[in-house]
Amino acid sequence: MSNSNELLNNIVGFTEGVARKEEREQSGSDYSKEKWKTKNDIAKLHPKRLQLTVSDIFQDTPSTKTFRLVMDGINDAIVLPPFQAGQYINLYTRIDGVETARPYAISSCPTHRGYYDLTVKLVESGFVTGYLLGDDVKVGQAFTATSPMGTFYHNPLFHGDELVFLAGGSGGAPARSMIESVLNRGLNINFHLIYGNSYENDVIFQDSFRQLADKHENFTLSEVVSRPTEGYDGLTGHLNKDLITKLIGDASTKTFYVCGPTPFNDFCEQQLKELGVENKRIRIECNGPPKKPSCLDGWPEVVDEQDEITVTVKGRGQFVAKTGEPLLNSLERNGYTVENACRSGECSLCRVKVLEGEVFNPPEAMLRKSDKDFGWVHSCVAFPTTDIEILY
Amino acid sequence: MSDTNTSTDFDAIVIGAGNAGLTAATALQRGGANTLLLERHNIPGGCATSFVRGEFEFEVALHQLSGLGTEDKPFIMRKIFGDLGVMDKVEFVQEHELYRMVVKDEFDITLPASWTGIRDVLVENFPAEEAGIKAFMKLCEQVTMESFMGLPMARKMNSEKMLMTNCKNYAEHGLRSAKDVLDEHFENEQLKTLLAAYWCYLGMPPKDINFCDLAVMLYAYGVFKPWHIKGGSQALSSALLESFLEAGGEVRFNCSVDKILTEQSGNKPKVTGIITEFGEEIPCGQIISNASTVVTFGDLLDTPIMPEGISKDFKSRDLGTSAFCLYLGMDKTPEQLGIKNASTFLSSTMNEELMHDTMSTMNPPVATMMTCYNVDDPSFAPPGKSQISLLCLQYGSVWEDVPVEQYAETKYAFAEHLLKQAEEFFPGFRASIEEVEVATPLTMMRYLNTPGGAIYGFQQNPEDGPLHRERYDQVDGLHIAGSWQGMGGFQPTYMVGTSTANAIVKKINKQRAAAQAIQEKDALNTSGVANV
Repeated sequence: MSNSNELLNNIVGFTEGVARKEEREQSGSDYSKEKWKTKNDIAKLHPKRLQLTVSDIFQDTPSTKTFRLVMDGINDAIVLPPFQAGQYINLYTRIDGVETARPYAISSCPTHRGYYDLTVKLVESGFVTGYLLGDDVKVGQAFTATSPMGTFYHNPLFHGDELVFLAGGSGGAPARSMIESVLNRGLNINFHLIYGNSYENDVIFQDSFRQLADKHENFTLSEVVSRPTEGYDGLTGHLNKDLITKLIGDASTKTFYVCGPTPFNDFCEQQLKELGVENKRIRIECNGPPKKPSCLDGWPEVVDEQDEITVTVKGRGQFVAKTGEPLLNSLERNGYTVENACRSGECSLCRVKVLEGEVFNPPEAMLRKSDKDFGWVHSCVAFPTTDIEILY
Repeated sequence: MSDTNTSTDFDAIVIGAGNAGLTAATALQRGGANTLLLERHNIPGGCATSFVRGEFEFEVALHQLSGLGTEDKPFIMRKIFGDLGVMDKVEFVQEHELYRMVVKDEFDITLPASWTGIRDVLVENFPAEEAGIKAFMKLCEQVTMESFMGLPMARKMNSEKMLMTNCKNYAEHGLRSAKDVLDEHFENEQLKTLLAAYWCYLGMPPKDINFCDLAVMLYAYGVFKPWHIKGGSQALSSALLESFLEAGGEVRFNCSVDKILTEQSGNKPKVTGIITEFGEEIPCGQIISNASTVVTFGDLLDTPIMPEGISKDFKSRDLGTSAFCLYLGMDKTPEQLGIKNASTFLSSTMNEELMHDTMSTMNPPVATMMTCYNVDDPSFAPPGKSQISLLCLQYGSVWEDVPVEQYAETKYAFAEHLLKQAEEFFPGFRASIEEVEVATPLTMMRYLNTPGGAIYGFQQNPEDGPLHRERYDQVDGLHIAGSWQGMGGFQPTYMVGTSTANAIVKKINKQRAAAQAIQEKDALNTSGVANV
């Protein structure tokens, strides 16, 4: 360009611009004092990974433990990234040589900056919960995790201040965080927790919820047991529309949070819709891949969940897997590492491209339009129904 | 050491799959250069992306794509997208208006996407200014044409005569402030404000932008129309990636770069490869960085101190604006909401300097931009619903001072300002929200990895345009492609990616031809020896 500077001097305003530029060169900062500032600024809110240590383990109920995770493993002096009550972290584990991960809702209140509590309920034949609730995990154990994420939280811009949380079993974990957040911050919100459990002796945070309900006028607790013992005198049955109406009156003006096992979520959603609650007032936390994908619409009739297919990872190798197993799980079992977090079809971190073959995507897979056009799937909820070749 | 290119598997490595990274990688691979594309996120696009909430897939950044032209009257982007092999992979949707601008208690005028239509609307609303309107529009056209044709030619030939005959208008007015030129043509303040609305696509108020930039935007959108993409800008990003993969390119997602490696070569450093966040070293002699220059030269480059030319350049720069944006999924149609236009500028003042000053504060914004994608493309939301983005420009530095534990509440409190303003213009707006996601300048920073969450690169002062700034060439083999090497926005970044790649392809082909010639000569010599 220097050769034509003389030429450009003929353009009105050019020389003045050069002068301004040269003046700025004398006075400005060259950003070199703060190396990695952008990366460090991002990490204050959203570090890619957290190195956590178990500082305490609480046995909440016969089927449930709460793990308190801190940053440095000794005390809770170091603060963790902030989160919004209801969010989760994805916890990485290595079990029998398999590297995998599971998302767990944080059950502690965001106002406690020194630790995250993860409350884990045993899932029948659960690969990871079995390990976490067994004897192997002890105080002092280190874990890697993502920073908090997820979209299941109270959004004051449109959720209003009449909130109802329909929780089933482990759904009590994010509920506790949300309730404590409302109460600890003194928010002007009425919060009603309708908490469904199978057994009256296996209710997470039962005492703590009851104490909070006694103490705070704006928090109401309704406990419901579906398999009561003889003589149980509390509410029983499922969280159907009659029960909901009986407990809260007009449902249409309130915002509902629903979190529990997938069948519980589906049932509650249907009940709320029948009560005329609009879409925007129903917030449902996703909860893992479908357990029986073959029962869903669109699953090819000729395919059995036990059928075996071959997965080829382009340029890297291949393995045999069952059609009923989420692709992400079989990839992990065979030593392939795929970034992931929600494991429920929502966050899209585990995108892979299907080059050949067919994959079943359940409704959980919140795919973008262009993902569908170009064959990208969310591997955490993708079920290969033929031999496939993938790229990631 | 011999030519670095011959000892590696990749002819080129592209850092970042934003607009410029994607067009660069695709042009390189299709041009025969074996290319590796690295992206720290899980999806291509950078700004040009989308995310899903509930039943909505939200467009993140594209408001109006420029430079495409119509099928009858094609313009440069149609050719570029054709060369990149994506024209049959995406569907473009034409918008029928430039924008509606509403200034409270002042005016409410909509400009159509037609050059003569704009003139008619302006004359109808400001009859006393008819002569000025015609002269101004003529000047916009002349300056635009000259900046595309005459100026590059005059610079290439280094000819003063060509400059003064073929780019007379540009030479006289192109680098004047847009405000000066508006003031010279018009008395009416409303008219000036209306015509300057696009300043927010550059981030600097009319007094601080070159007239040529405003002229080109008005003329290009007016004549070549504003466009959307079916499926959003993500669809185009994904199409570019598809084209790159079809041509044999290799991509790695969730893989950021930690270091750009160099060795000293003569008086300049020269790139030898990169190290990924996983510690993998990949040798390569040509690296195209779609990351910001501040991150590329300040953080990634392994030289002990920044090359002198870079340091000097950075000192004369300021970080450009970021944005605060609400992504709204509404449970009503645009008609039901009273929204008739895809792009609407809403303002409570005509004072652009006040608007710009407010961008450096947490004060309620005095100007917002509303984009409703469903107006021209109902498929942008499920039936009966609509998707809207509500945006104000804002500098990131304000947000860097917010304590992390107050971040969420600060974000919602600021979002309230925008919703309040929208509610004023569209009563009942708020009650129709079905989904909303809030992005602050820190969100932009997180997803774009730019200092201050800058969305258009460095601030675009009059002396920061292409006539005053050269390409970064302080490190051999390291090329910058993106808004930090020129202007921000979609068309400029797509174009700089392509032009950067084409220059590298040319160079690589030249080297290959030279290597081939040597080989043939050797072969000839060898056979010659054998024959003796």
